Amino acid sequence: MQEQARLPCVEIRNLVKKFPGVIAVNHINLKVKHGEVFSLLGPSGCGKTTTLRILAGLETADEGEVLIEGEVINDVPPYRRDCNLVFQNLALFPHMTVEENLAYGLERKRVPKSEIRKRVGEMLEFMQLNGMESRYTVQLSGGQQQRVALGRSLVLKPKLLLLDEPLAALDRKLRKDMQVELKRIQKEVGITFFYVTHDQKVALAISDTIAVMREGKLEQVASPEEIYDTPRTRFVADFMGATNIFPGKVIARGGGEIQLETESGLKIVALADKASNNKTITGVCVHPERINVLPTGPDVETENQFNGRIVGMIYQGDFVELKIHLLSRKKDVSVTAHLDARLSRKDSFAVGQEVTIQWDRDGSSTLHG
Amino acid sequence: MKSLRTDRLLLVLVVGGYLLLWGPIIVLGIFSFNSSAFGVKWESLTAKWYVELFQTSAIMDSVVRSLLIASVTTMVATGIGTIAGYGLFKYKFAGRRFLRLSILLPITVPYVIMAGALLVYFTQIIHVPLGYPTIIIAHISFSAPLAVFVTLGRMQRIDWSLEEASIDLGADRLTTWRKVTIPLLLPAIFASAVLIFPWSFNDFTITYFVAGVGTTTLPLYLYSMLQYSLKPVLINAISLIFIITPTIGILVLSYFQREKQFTR
Repeated sequence: MQEQARLPCVEIRNLVKKFPGVIAVNHINLKVKHGEVFSLLGPSGCGKTTTLRILAGLETADEGEVLIEGEVINDVPPYRRDCNLVFQNLALFPHMTVEENLAYGLERKRVPKSEIRKRVGEMLEFMQLNGMESRYTVQLSGGQQQRVALGRSLVLKPKLLLLDEPLAALDRKLRKDMQVELKRIQKEVGITFFYVTHDQKVALAISDTIAVMREGKLEQVASPEEIYDTPRTRFVADFMGATNIFPGKVIARGGGEIQLETESGLKIVALADKASNNKTITGVCVHPERINVLPTGPDVETENQFNGRIVGMIYQGDFVELKIHLLSRKKDVSVTAHLDARLSRKDSFAVGQEVTIQWDRDGSSTLHG
Repeated sequence: MKSLRTDRLLLVLVVGGYLLLWGPIIVLGIFSFNSSAFGVKWESLTAKWYVELFQTSAIMDSVVRSLLIASVTTMVATGIGTIAGYGLFKYKFAGRRFLRLSILLPITVPYVIMAGALLVYFTQIIHVPLGYPTIIIAHISFSAPLAVFVTLGRMQRIDWSLEEASIDLGADRLTTWRKVTIPLLLPAIFASAVLIFPWSFNDFTITYFVAGVGTTTLPLYLYSMLQYSLKPVLINAISLIFIITPTIGILVLSYFQREKQFTR
């Protein structure tokens, strides 16, 4: 048992998967701790679903090893693996009732009938599906179908639950509800979740660890906060919504801060992170909500303060998105800022108006590639 | 605005088409109750032909023969066709396209040519005496491609992640076939069977060539009656029975089909 606790739930070593004309997974290494929600996040075609399918055993690895609790499972057929998959389209059996769907895996494992009935009953209760047991799955609502799909896998008590964007097909409100629900379920059953998604919001909301994947490789593996606040690369920054990316070089360093000069000639001050040297820093990114926008006022020069003109304004409900062109630059630089709708009146800014933008040094993050 | 003339034209077309489809059958049905043994002149209402029909053992024998042949053909051809369709759809292998085409193409070969070829094949090459085996083999050879055709059509609309889900939940390939794939294919299997059974039952051309002595099927018997019988009106009677029975069957089945709509 102690041995088990020390081993990661899942370990992937040097995994490679090639398809004709493309390397879907390119030497991936990762570890998933017991009981955590691990998200593999990336755009479509980045290899995340392939990785998941290799874990499930539905695809075979070309190179490398997949381990569950320290055991190599490359050659274990999918129907003998102690991990279950919740499919993107849920893949509920349309010719079976809810109860039959839930019992399917247990029957295959030749669990005694009385125990199947007991465990299915508990799962119906747990998933709040009481009274639905003899319905066909097409007669259920989207949220209920999600719960049947989850229950069908969880009732087997797998060591690992693989989820392939099961929330993607839901509308926005239901997706939010299901995120909360998913997190609650995971906490309660304590099973490790391996969640594949292209939706950074879902990943941030449910994960303990996020791995951002790009073209078959992992870009960054970290906690949601770290990924969001300090994306390491331009790709991660962009994917996490830090749309203001300033490529540039370090020109000065000291006292825990660095100064950069961007390609467009801006001088930016940022926090120096210890782990990196000047050479590897390739720029800075700033999340739109970290940028303060002020009506152009007194010329008090503080750090990271620039003048610009509003060229676009999009009302988004809970915030207003401003597109601002910085003035008098060699190259055109535009910045996106989000204003909290509660704090700024809609009419306090207008397109064409000159404004001053500013952000604090801890609101930005240095990029390394 | 839709003009009244277009509406009327449409109505004429619909009624005309419908009459074309059902007219001959209705006339035939009515005349099966005509007491005259020949011709088109109406004499008086009678049901005696139906009585005679059931008393003529040659007719009853040929009906039983045809039902037997059609049943065996349907079962075997549907089985072969479903498995072949599955293989052609699911597995990628060299020559798959060619194989698919070469299985489906014989549907377009004229029956007379197919029949002649089969006769030569049976008598000159593999030397099988003509009879039940040759009829059934011949029927399977022209109806299995139909099952492949129907199955392939259905396969395109099946959600194949269901098979993967089954395997993921602990079912091996065979169990997955039994518990998931076959139930999903059931509409296709059923459609194939519904298509093949009457096809086999009704076949005249090919059976005419490959049937031996003593294996006269119903279509062959009806044809000979038409040529030599003194009571062609019997054909009307038997035809009506074989029109009404499947019609009722199809109505009943389509009712149940609607009751149990679970497939997408």
